[in-house]
Amino acid sequence: MPDLPKKKVGIVACSGEELPEGTVTRLAALKVLEQLRPADTVTICLPLFLAGGEGDRAFARFYPTVAVDGCDKRCAARATEMYSGKPAASVVVSDLVAEYELEQPEGKRRLNDAGQRAVEVTAGWVAGLVDDILGRPAGQQAELATELAEVSEPEGEEAVVATCSCGSGIPIQKVAVNGRVVTLIALPVIFQQLHQAGKRPGDDMARELLEVVKIYNPIPREEEQDYTEALLREYAAFCEKQEAPA
Amino acid sequence: MSDRGQKVVIVPCSGIGKTFGTVSREAAYKVTEDMRPADTELVALSLLVLGDEDAREAVSEHATVTIDGCKLACATKMVQESGGTVAQQFTVLDAFRRHRQFKSQGIAELNEGGKQLAHALAEEIAAAVDGFSGNGRGKEDA
Repeated sequence: MPDLPKKKVGIVACSGEELPEGTVTRLAALKVLEQLRPADTVTICLPLFLAGGEGDRAFARFYPTVAVDGCDKRCAARATEMYSGKPAASVVVSDLVAEYELEQPEGKRRLNDAGQRAVEVTAGWVAGLVDDILGRPAGQQAELATELAEVSEPEGEEAVVATCSCGSGIPIQKVAVNGRVVTLIALPVIFQQLHQAGKRPGDDMARELLEVVKIYNPIPREEEQDYTEALLREYAAFCEKQEAPA
Repeated sequence: MSDRGQKVVIVPCSGIGKTFGTVSREAAYKVTEDMRPADTELVALSLLVLGDEDAREAVSEHATVTIDGCKLACATKMVQESGGTVAQQFTVLDAFRRHRQFKSQGIAELNEGGKQLAHALAEEIAAAVDGFSGNGRGKEDA
């Protein structure tokens, strides 16, 4: 199997500016992205699902996603599902505040101590969800969240900048399958990786190509043959273009 | 009918991964909480994304000022998508070009340059608000 880009978990925070809990979502997401799971997570601004392009809307179909909401309107979870893909998991700050019997967060611009504590708990919970999604045994959200709430870690380490996907988009490619144009996520990267691995377009790699594409794209079983033919055709065109003299 | 009266609606970028997103948010808070609290109301972008009726009504029936943190201009696009007309668009990048001495750093917490840039931008927005609400106040009221 080609060495595709490492699977990461997408974090989508509501960032609701009108509530302290919205600030909690944003700071908790940043803590996961920059401190707790920097190598395993990436983020995107929620509005890009509408204001961005098709590549942005593919975000939650490419990355398993954790939605982090401040209140029970659940803007991040619902909008992600409406415009991109169903989140793999979601968390609501107000629920965690109640569950952990925290004091009410206050201060949209500068969170009070209760708000900072809610950030720690929420970040710990989200990090646990990330571990669960990536299949790691350490994903005990409740334990991790409690631990972080009790012992706030020092933040003296060198800063890591959050991996922000805004505007970068997920690589996509439109392909004609049995007379119908479909959008396939990650196809340009898959082609690139296969080509770099020296795979030539042909029947001997058709199954492998289809299986890799299926990781990122739902393909109905009854249409697999049509997809395989289309993928081989597109891959042959890709290779030809790559190998054409400049 | 809402009870917003003649308030000007402020919609900042909800950017999470870049310092200019934080500057846009800080400028919005300065205007809506410190400088012109009686004349303005902050509307969260996430509500517009979800199609929240009250948020849509706010931007479609009131003068709306957007503050975009990057060239993707999510705030401006979402107001337009929601049936609103942008009375004036501000971008942090343009503000930085006008105030190059204020170099912003930090996302969770802005450095001093970022705070100064946010303040300078907020003053410009407050002046625009005064124009829309017709109260003719100057910066000295900020």
